[in-house]
Amino acid sequence: MIDGYKRLMNLEEPLPSKKAKGFFTDTSLCIGCKACEVACKQWNQLPADGFAITGNSYDNTGHLGATTWRHVQFIEQAKANESRQEQRWLMMSDVCKHCANAACLEACPTGALVRTEFDTVYVQQDICNGCGFCVPACPFGVIDRVPKESTFEVGTAHKCTLCYDRLKDDMTPACAKSCPTASIQFGDVEELQHRARQRLGELKARGESTARLYGMPEGKEAVEVGPLHAFFLLLDKPQAYNLPEVPRLPRKTMAERYGWSAAVGIGFAMVAALVFRGGRR
Amino acid sequence: MKEANHPPPSQESPSPARGGGQCGGTGGGGYYDNPIVRRPVWTWEVPAYFWLGGMGAGAFVTASLAQTLGSADDRRTAADGFYLAAAAPVPCAPLLIGDLGRPARFHHMLRIFKPLSPMNLGAWTLTAFTPLAFARAASHAADTGLLHGPLRGLTRLLPRRLTELAGSLLGLTLAGYSGVLLGATNVPLWAKSKLLGGVFMASALSSGSAAVTLQAARRGSPEATLHRLATIESAASLGEMAVITGYLMQSGKAARPLTTGRFAAPFWLGAVGIGALLPLLLHRFATRHHGRTLRSLSTAAALCSMAGSLALRWSIFEAGKVSSEDQSASFELSKA
Ligand code: SF4
Ligand code: SF4
Repeated sequence: MIDGYKRLMNLEEPLPSKKAKGFFTDTSLCIGCKACEVACKQWNQLPADGFAITGNSYDNTGHLGATTWRHVQFIEQAKANESRQEQRWLMMSDVCKHCANAACLEACPTGALVRTEFDTVYVQQDICNGCGFCVPACPFGVIDRVPKESTFEVGTAHKCTLCYDRLKDDMTPACAKSCPTASIQFGDVEELQHRARQRLGELKARGESTARLYGMPEGKEAVEVGPLHAFFLLLDKPQAYNLPEVPRLPRKTMAERYGWSAAVGIGFAMVAALVFRGGRR
Repeated sequence: MKEANHPPPSQESPSPARGGGQCGGTGGGGYYDNPIVRRPVWTWEVPAYFWLGGMGAGAFVTASLAQTLGSADDRRTAADGFYLAAAAPVPCAPLLIGDLGRPARFHHMLRIFKPLSPMNLGAWTLTAFTPLAFARAASHAADTGLLHGPLRGLTRLLPRRLTELAGSLLGLTLAGYSGVLLGATNVPLWAKSKLLGGVFMASALSSGSAAVTLQAARRGSPEATLHRLATIESAASLGEMAVITGYLMQSGKAARPLTTGRFAAPFWLGAVGIGALLPLLLHRFATRHHGRTLRSLSTAAALCSMAGSLALRWSIFEAGKVSSEDQSASFELSKA
């Protein structure tokens, strides 16, 4: 019975799971060299996004998208405030968070988005039909669909694969490999989390009072989307890096939404029933 | 000489001080004015589909209720609604497919059953609803002598009550899931309030029952039936206004791209004014009239309600794209 269902629904046995892999991006080490952006584009053969000047510091990449899977932010904090006396320049290499409860994966109607044996979130390019639902579902604005007129994998959704192909061969993802300061660290998620806690302790001891981790199991950002397998050490509040305080997982409110919708439908049916019945007398 | 009015550039606030926790432009204190979520890639096909699918479903539900509970006149009149219920979903599949990035792979939507994804649930619902609506319309056509020969014999085999019940349940799903689908994203205008599914449901039912009224008025059905249909339609419009009010209140500032700016006119005038208020007034006015006047008033009210339903889907859909770029609304949505 179950077997028949699986065959009918094309359900494959998942590969035996390995240790969860991820990134720990320590923004306190980032120097904004964009080596990660370049390495990612090269390894994954992603096309250039055109030559544009945003006017926002050294950031001419703009945002993550279908053909940009690493994005280095340049945050200029020129004014001192109550928590900080000096001017400073924060840099951060943003990436898909490979959420434990991924909104994109849950939204996907074709099953193109899957969880791999490395516990990462991956788009199967031969399955995706470009329905576009994952795009606004992601609370971090990561995944995007390639326009219908393009030279690259037309019409399907793309995002960081955590270099799935390299992982299969026991290699480090291209961005982490190329990062000259070890701001991007790759490894087993558990071990990275341990390292992150240690590093945070170090920084705090040195007086970096606003340093914090983002995406750890105990953080409030993990309440809905779960721990992030690509997580960060930040030097300011998440907002400064355009990271949501509590990223929302649509599933959490879905039942309530269906409930209201059903209530309206049932209300209508009852009124209509009364009116029609009244007409029979 | 106008330039003289401008204050000299302030020395205290150097211009690059925008990023990192310092407010700038329309942003909410985030990274420059960059949006938090990605802009939905869907185009006009989607609201058009939501509108047609909802209307067809609403017509089916109304007609089915009349079959089960109505008088002989009501039954005869409302059964014409099954035609619209069968016709409306016909363009739906092409619209949905046309919006895909890879239209040739549309059937991947049905390679799994995953009700957790409203998009998947909707695809299955449409697939199941369409043939039921067709079958029920065919059996009505056989009743009225439009269908002859072996097809007519086939329709006799159809268990009508069961078709109506199953079709109505699927229809209600089809009418409401679209609002839940938009709500199951991180676009503030769609997701902040939990009521969008209710709004779309109400709009589908008011436009669907209006479609039944439209056919009834055209075919010159008894006035008592027309009045009853008008009552049902008005109840749906009232409900729609109530849910829209709740939706706007829950959305708060996140609703600004809809209630002000480019989409304010289609929303207030189109969806609320023409789609709900005007039909209410017209039906109210029609209660005092008979014959031709009553029929024209009912027709006008029904057409308004149907058009307003499209305006509602379209304005909420398009304003959602603007909302996706609203950094501060996104931060608001993610507040602990
Ligand atoms: S960050 Fe967005 S795209 Fe990446 S796994 Fe999470 S929900 Fe999916
Ligand atoms: S665009 Fe592709 S990956 Fe995204 S939800 Fe649709 S089918 Fe899934």
